[in-house]
Amino acid sequence: MIQVENITKKYGSFTAVNNINFEIEEGEIVGFLGPNGAGKSTTMNMITGFIEPTNGKVIVDGYDMSKKPKKAKKQIGYMPEGVPLYGDLTVKEFVTYMAEIKGVDKKEKKEKVAKVLEQIGLTDVQNKLTKNLSRGYKQRVSMAGALVGDPKVIILDEPTVGLDPKQVTEIRALIKELGKTHTVILSSHILSEVSQICNRVIIINKGEIVAIDTPENLEKKVVKENSIHVTVEDPENKMETIKEKLENVQEVKFISENEDKTKEYIITAEKDTDLRKNIFEIFAKEGITIFEMKKTDATLEDAFMQLIEGSKKDEGGKE
Amino acid sequence: MWAIYRKELKSYFLSPIGYIVIGIFLFVFSVFFYLTTVATGNVDLGALYYYAALYGLMIIVPILTMRMFAEERKTGTEQLILTSPVSMTGVVMGKLLAAITVVCITLVISLGYFLIVNYFGSPNIAVVLVSILGYILISAAALSIGMFASSITENQIIAGVITIAFLIMSLFMQDLNSVFSNLAIMNFYQDFPSGVISLSEIVGLVSFTGMFTAFTIIIMQRRKLVK
Repeated sequence: MIQVENITKKYGSFTAVNNINFEIEEGEIVGFLGPNGAGKSTTMNMITGFIEPTNGKVIVDGYDMSKKPKKAKKQIGYMPEGVPLYGDLTVKEFVTYMAEIKGVDKKEKKEKVAKVLEQIGLTDVQNKLTKNLSRGYKQRVSMAGALVGDPKVIILDEPTVGLDPKQVTEIRALIKELGKTHTVILSSHILSEVSQICNRVIIINKGEIVAIDTPENLEKKVVKENSIHVTVEDPENKMETIKEKLENVQEVKFISENEDKTKEYIITAEKDTDLRKNIFEIFAKEGITIFEMKKTDATLEDAFMQLIEGSKKDEGGKE
Repeated sequence: MWAIYRKELKSYFLSPIGYIVIGIFLFVFSVFFYLTTVATGNVDLGALYYYAALYGLMIIVPILTMRMFAEERKTGTEQLILTSPVSMTGVVMGKLLAAITVVCITLVISLGYFLIVNYFGSPNIAVVLVSILGYILISAAALSIGMFASSITENQIIAGVITIAFLIMSLFMQDLNSVFSNLAIMNFYQDFPSGVISLSEIVGLVSFTGMFTAFTIIIMQRRKLVK
């Protein structure tokens, strides 16, 4: 659906995006992830044709953005960062205007606008001026503007920024719903959001792609070990020597002592070994009482941090 | 293009700008109606349109044009237009035509002065119509300068000041050097008010408008590369 081939964007001597390559299939929900200033918005702006890449090309549904911009742009619905709206238009007027500039057929215009307003839940406020709406509603109006005219690809730049938790859940549900019928690209710096919604994640840092994979695979890649968090009561201080009695254990690390004299430890083992049963039995034999035991999973957050840190180190090495 | 045109025209009248422009315009017209017709007992309305162009456009044009592109750039709405399948030429022409339409609305109202004079004497309708035709052309030229100024900055005030400065300077520049006199748009509104349709004036104003419209299109297209 979308092919991004070797795109680079330079501002003077500063390279915002450096030689990025990826492909997005029809029906995918893809998340761009990266810290602020990583080049997420710049990349999205190049895909939408708002800015032209210094090098490389973007192909949307078979149309080259720089050669056939009209046809390529027609396939895309874009919700820019910061939800720009025309404050003096009402919700309905705004969505109708978006439909018009996207070249929606005159006869279908009214019907399509009504459909989108209904879908996004804006029917109640359709006659309000957009400048008088709350942030959450503005976000929806902007999204309605992107959706009207049924573009095949929907690009959302930070769709949940500045919303309250309830609105965030609603918008996420909406994006998931859209993903069933459209190709969706969204950017975010919230990791849990991306792992919840997206089929695939593209992690960008300093204008370069650090990783492209499914959220699950990214987590797996990073989880090199298996660790268990335990809270124990250990009056005889047997935890100090417990490592020798457990098999396959790499490390027993003391974390803290609580007010009720219980102690917290993290026990790390090699990948693919489940220690829990072992720990339970041996601790009982030794007279250590377990108050709490849980597996600590590496999350996408860890994956993200590791990847970002990794790419920073590489760069440091070069210098 | 027409979607942009309709929206722009609607925006002029959803905000007070459209009404303010028409109000100021009619005030300028009324002042010069008194000075050129009532006070002198003259039935020739050409002078009214000449002075209304000379002084009126200087105030009206920046008000109509300063927000055209500057505001869109500042609020980010230009992203909506530039990522939609409309050509840049369509966007620029739509905006220019909407501003010209506001001027035309005022000119229709200005026919009221003709009716007043017609009640007391017999003014020449041909002169009035030719003056109005010329007025539309000269406002298009002035508006295209304002539009160009608005496309090069995201600050409306700067856009407005550049426009006023250009229009005021064009009054003096012609005394400096004959080359600059071609940039003084009032030089192309000399024959129209006396009821003469002069080809050189039409060509002058139309090419002036065309030049600055083209400049605006180029500036906006270049934004894709430099932004």
